[in-house]
Amino acid sequence: MEPASEQLLEIYTNMVRSRAFEELVISIMPKGKIPAGWMSGVGQEGIVGALSGLREDDYVTYTHRGAYYFLCRGSDPGRILAELYGKRTGYCGGKGGRHLADTKHRLFGKSGTIGGHAPIAVGLATAVQIRGEDSVVMSFFGDGTSNRGTTHESMNLTSVWKLPLIWVCENNGWAGLTPSSMSTAYTDVADLAEAYSIPGRIVDGNDVLEVHEATREAVARARAGAGPSLIELKTYRIREFAEGGWFPTGYRDPEEVEAWKKRDPIERFRAVLLSRGVLTAGQVEEIQQKAVEEMQVAQKFADESEFPPVEDAFTDLYA
Amino acid sequence: MRTIGFMQAMNEALQEEMRRDPSVYVLGLGVHYSGTHPSVTAGLIDEFGAARVRSTPVSEAAVAGSCVGAALAGMRPVAQFSLADFVFCALDEILCKAGKWRYTHGAEGGMSLPIVFLETIGGYVSAASEHSQSPLALYAHAPGLKIAVPTTPYNAKGLLKTAIRDNNPVVFFPHKRLMGAQGPVPEEDYTVPFGQAEVRREGRDVTVVATSYMVTLALEAASKLEEQGVDTEVIDPLTLEPLDTERIVESVRKTGRRVVVDEDTERCGVGAEIGMQVVERAFDALKAPIQRVSNPNLPVPYSRPLEQAVLPSREKIEKAIQQTLAA
Repeated sequence: MEPASEQLLEIYTNMVRSRAFEELVISIMPKGKIPAGWMSGVGQEGIVGALSGLREDDYVTYTHRGAYYFLCRGSDPGRILAELYGKRTGYCGGKGGRHLADTKHRLFGKSGTIGGHAPIAVGLATAVQIRGEDSVVMSFFGDGTSNRGTTHESMNLTSVWKLPLIWVCENNGWAGLTPSSMSTAYTDVADLAEAYSIPGRIVDGNDVLEVHEATREAVARARAGAGPSLIELKTYRIREFAEGGWFPTGYRDPEEVEAWKKRDPIERFRAVLLSRGVLTAGQVEEIQQKAVEEMQVAQKFADESEFPPVEDAFTDLYA
Repeated sequence: MRTIGFMQAMNEALQEEMRRDPSVYVLGLGVHYSGTHPSVTAGLIDEFGAARVRSTPVSEAAVAGSCVGAALAGMRPVAQFSLADFVFCALDEILCKAGKWRYTHGAEGGMSLPIVFLETIGGYVSAASEHSQSPLALYAHAPGLKIAVPTTPYNAKGLLKTAIRDNNPVVFFPHKRLMGAQGPVPEEDYTVPFGQAEVRREGRDVTVVATSYMVTLALEAASKLEEQGVDTEVIDPLTLEPLDTERIVESVRKTGRRVVVDEDTERCGVGAEIGMQVVERAFDALKAPIQRVSNPNLPVPYSRPLEQAVLPSREKIEKAIQQTLAA
């Protein structure tokens, strides 16, 4: 079933907001206000289609890349940016930085280790199951993370316990500097589903509607108590591994990057919406303008926020 | 007062806390099976069912990390890992997630991580290098965890109840050689607080601080030396985080002499930490150098005589006490 026009517009708007946030961070990076790197999600905004099928009481665990998880769940980009600056008004009071969290929206933290999220997702789903609730957990991971033992241990456990969890692999073909061909024995991460006796599906990760439709089905299945699924989104990271100039470049074929730029998920979805008359050229302009303004407000908020007092370094270790 | 075993005491703590609080659940290898031998989780499945008594695969990282996730969602998991040696596979989950996420991510929203990790430690059972470790210092070195080291059935039950009710991650270390111990345990509800060392034996001449099964050996050494007129005080910290430094320093101010006994490898170990705490706070009270009795940084060997050569013993403790008295 196709989402209603209103939801289509919301998906499009969140994709545009995600891109606008990325462009803001990229523009700020050379100014030195963000004292560490940022992993850009430009080109992977098709993920918004997966996030848009969730309820407020669902849980999401997320990768180190991109801000879409936060923007779709309702986080304030000003507070995200403030956290990247290390300001007191950031979501973690300046203690987490790019290892962002927004606990109110059930986004509990970016793992500093690749694959650290998988077991945590298992636990979130275990809590839901023990309490007999109908929330679900959506756990995002990359193709590189599919090589971690934690991923395999966790997939096995979710299947054995029939947990309400949707594994969403963002397969962008690269783990840092290393292509999948050098690191991964399987071509499709979705093939793991068969080993773990759960449904697996491959979708075009840059087709946001396909992503939405596939994940919605898996969410419904998990919510009904029928157990976990694995969905693999074939996508691509357009930017380098990290913003901030400290990461090597030149390891990819420029033609490969250019080819994927032509499959930009936002442009593709815009064309679909325009052709269907869901979106007008005027609205395209308006949504873009609003997203840019939202990010300007965010930047002003982060710029004007204070750094935390040094005493904060000594608080909050224990509850 | 009735006398019960160490494992039954832990079992009762789990049972009573699971009755008291529906968010408490246990998970680990084989916890569904009550078996024919005493065990910490025996019988729980009959009362609480498979949802709250969850047998797991051999997946230490997934099990430990799942405790973090469940705790973030408001549960109070208790993970039964059997040997501490196996938990090295899950240190990212325990040290970096359980220990650090509240500080790193929980500045608002009151994030708490109420988890108990049960890890059996210790040698003296010919189990060789990968089944005999006592890695207390490893955990003590990491921020954000609490560390409980029970030594009797009474404090095992009371400390475990405190651990389950605590809103922070607690690593709880029973010792293989103590799991068969019997002792008096009241029938009524009680807890043993964290951060309060127990003086297991009062004495005037020398203070021995010992952890876990080392308390038993230290008490034996103290009895032996009593025949020679040496009056030994034995202090059992019970928790290493929080550590009752005050009680330890107070004792050293009385005796002026200190021995630390810890089964873990000596370098950067609990003995080094407790020794330094005394040096920083009561150097002026020391009449002799502090002595350490620990594993001299070796893997624990299998063969009985070799194992005894590496691990602390009553005789080694006696010798250390005599050395500090002779200095």
